[in-house]
Amino acid sequence: MKTLYENYFKNKKSNNPVIQVMSKIPMFQNLSSSELNDVARLTHERSFKAEEPIFKKMAPAEGMYVIIEGKVEISDPDSGITFATLRGGDFFGELALLDEEPRSAMAVATEPSKLIGFFRTDLLTLMDRDPVVGNKILVDLSRVLGERLRRTNLELEKSK
Amino acid sequence: MDSLQKIYRLALLIVIGGLAWNILPFLGSVIVMLIFAFLFTTIFLQSVDGLERKIHSRGVSVILILGSVITVGIWFFGSFIANLGSQIKVFTNKLQKEDFAISLEGLSIKIRDYLPEFVGNMIPESEKLISIAKESLGSVFQNILSLLGSAGSFFFLAVMIIIFTIILLIEYHDFKRTLVRFIPNKYLEVGLRTIYNIEKQISSYLRGQILAASSVAILSIIGLLILNQLGANMTLVVFIGIIAGLANLIPMVGPFVGMVPAILIALMNNLGNDVAMNHQLFGAIPSPFFMMDIVFMFIIVQQIDNNFITPILVGESVGLHPMAVMIVLLIGGTMMGPLGMLFAIPAAGVLKVIISETIFISKNSHLL
Repeated sequence: MKTLYENYFKNKKSNNPVIQVMSKIPMFQNLSSSELNDVARLTHERSFKAEEPIFKKMAPAEGMYVIIEGKVEISDPDSGITFATLRGGDFFGELALLDEEPRSAMAVATEPSKLIGFFRTDLLTLMDRDPVVGNKILVDLSRVLGERLRRTNLELEKSK
Repeated sequence: MDSLQKIYRLALLIVIGGLAWNILPFLGSVIVMLIFAFLFTTIFLQSVDGLERKIHSRGVSVILILGSVITVGIWFFGSFIANLGSQIKVFTNKLQKEDFAISLEGLSIKIRDYLPEFVGNMIPESEKLISIAKESLGSVFQNILSLLGSAGSFFFLAVMIIIFTIILLIEYHDFKRTLVRFIPNKYLEVGLRTIYNIEKQISSYLRGQILAASSVAILSIIGLLILNQLGANMTLVVFIGIIAGLANLIPMVGPFVGMVPAILIALMNNLGNDVAMNHQLFGAIPSPFFMMDIVFMFIIVQQIDNNFITPILVGESVGLHPMAVMIVLLIGGTMMGPLGMLFAIPAAGVLKVIISETIFISKNSHLL
């Protein structure tokens, strides 16, 4: 049994895989280790079985997922097109942190997977509690989305 | 789901409900303690989170914040009781003197003069009035003694609430994560949104109420100080103001409760004072011992609160129709008395969130 001191007063230093994976995600790259610890405390670790849907197309969207281990397929169930197959360290669904539009694609774990979810409600809580960290994440999220838009524009120009 | 399964679930629900209904009275006080602890946690959570970021220790942050709040609380109630004690002492001395009887006699005659004859006859004769006053004073002291007797159980309740609040504040985020772990994957996002909306509902309501209560306290203090300038001879002004502010937390009934201590103090301080006895509000309305002035002042404070402060600070935080608010208050009051009235509106707000999310889930179940 942990002592009262260890439970309540000792700074808990963590080297868990969640923080290690999160530190490599562009949205969290500019956070200091203590800020990352704060954010990690707000995230939710989930396990998915093989073939278990993470979210369906048109489902209400609340946030993004980061894959710690396993494999996730992003696809359109209507057309049957697979957009991407993602693995440990990848992330998806980050647009839902900003808007409340339903999911535009379906995400399914194709093998037993461990994911961390970071949701809009977590971001809003963070912006209330620590606006500096919340703003850092928002700026980096905008950078990621801007980068993606630029890449899409280039691909559109190439396809013309 | 086949009908047999539906019947089984319904039967299970009835059994669980029945058990809960029977066990609830035994757990009542613990539940009340937990509700209070949760409300205090909601109030102090943001400050604890903020301090923790600066000093990097949640335990120390909780102790520093709760410690200072408890110290201020003890100082407030301690000095209030001490001041009230000396006030009662002065009042008791006054009772021994002749002018007390004269004052009561004057009051009795004055009331009779202003009331229609058939109502005036119902006011007791001055000698009777004196004996009634002495008897009721005796019962007041007896009540104070029994209150002191129950102070022990109140102290236990307060200590338990403080302990629960400390634990909840320290472990809040971990508790929340543990709770979220029980939500199945397919309901995770909707579940998180529900929890967030409930938290937001409660914290915005509480913060609004606390700010509104502080404003009422400040306005009442200003009002009493103005009355003092007019010769009301009010003491314990700050305490009366704070009590009026705290009472304001209970909607609709609180404001009336808040003016009782002010009227009592005015009565205690001005008994035997002929000028106060013959005082008239605006030079026209009889207001013995400034009682009508106090009522009028509290009505003005309430009007400012209801029309300007509360709509801005509390606003549509719960989003309930005024009629629904009244019904909910009546239900809360019938079930749990003043405590029920205090919790009725936030509880109804939480219920509203749960119902709207349940409807959302049932409408979009094919997407989850």
